[in-house]
Amino acid sequence: MNRLRVIALIVIVLLCALFVYIAEDIPVFGDPNAPPIKSVELFTLEVDHVASLMDQHVVPEKLSKELAKRGLPPPSRVEKIPGIEGEWNAFIAKEELHYAKEEKYYWIREEGDKLRISRYAFVARWIEKGLEETAVTNMVTYGLADYRGYDTLGETTVIFTAGVSVILLLRRRSRL
Amino acid sequence: MKEKQGEGNIIVETVARVMIPFIQLFGLYVITHGAGGPGGGFQGGVVFASAFILYVIAFNLTDGGARFPESGNIILSSLGLYIYAGIGLLAIFFTLGAAQYLNYGFIPFTSHFEENRALGMDFVEIGIGITVMAIIVSIFFDLALKDGDGKEEEEEGSR
Repeated sequence: MNRLRVIALIVIVLLCALFVYIAEDIPVFGDPNAPPIKSVELFTLEVDHVASLMDQHVVPEKLSKELAKRGLPPPSRVEKIPGIEGEWNAFIAKEELHYAKEEKYYWIREEGDKLRISRYAFVARWIEKGLEETAVTNMVTYGLADYRGYDTLGETTVIFTAGVSVILLLRRRSRL
Repeated sequence: MKEKQGEGNIIVETVARVMIPFIQLFGLYVITHGAGGPGGGFQGGVVFASAFILYVIAFNLTDGGARFPESGNIILSSLGLYIYAGIGLLAIFFTLGAAQYLNYGFIPFTSHFEENRALGMDFVEIGIGITVMAIIVSIFFDLALKDGDGKEEEEEGSR
């Protein structure tokens, strides 16, 4: 009996350690670099004077031209991300695409002597990169079981809990 | 007792006997083709459970209980959840140091990262399907059976 308790204690401690280990891995809420919210990278540019133009809230012509070449909407406004050196947000004017308001659309960051221009929008990434990343054709499935896997695990737990509650409340028989 | 409840009706029994295998097959189809088409674990599990419920309605509770005993029911309902969480745990074991919980790509089912993710999703859907099926059947039996030992009461009543 005593030995059983020790084994149980060890198992519980190991499980707790495992859960802490798992919890360390869960992405921070609102973290723009979390795997499911990552943006789609478009192209890179040379830094030279583009960065200094953007620091003065001017949309560089070179950037607009590169975007137009790829059929993307031109930015109307560039803003430095507060608190981070070498990162900018570019906005597109309202009703430029199907957005009712001015939309934060491009994410520009400096890496070495290159500017990496990426596009925000989770939906765009979901639609465009999903098949490539998961090899599943159904958009809903990779959303449900992969990108939002934690959520579905929780949902299944809810159903299991509901079933167990019904067993405990309604099953008035000797054996469980 | 038997005739009063409409049990032993040959039309109902025959139709149920013909339909049940097809309903079960359709349930399995919905679960396994969740990744490719409109379907998945939740819907497939409910369709599969409906086959058991049809069996109980067409025949009777005691036969249904014998086909799907409660002990097995409880085991199955937790087994599905264990499959889901176990797939996540496997991912942890294969990414020791990075702890990519539920990132199916790192589990070496095949040599391709993307196909691993697709296969991982399939296993997860199967786990969901098992849990949902067992829980639905369990709730149905709990609501359908009376208080006290349902089995004995049924047998006494039919005598």
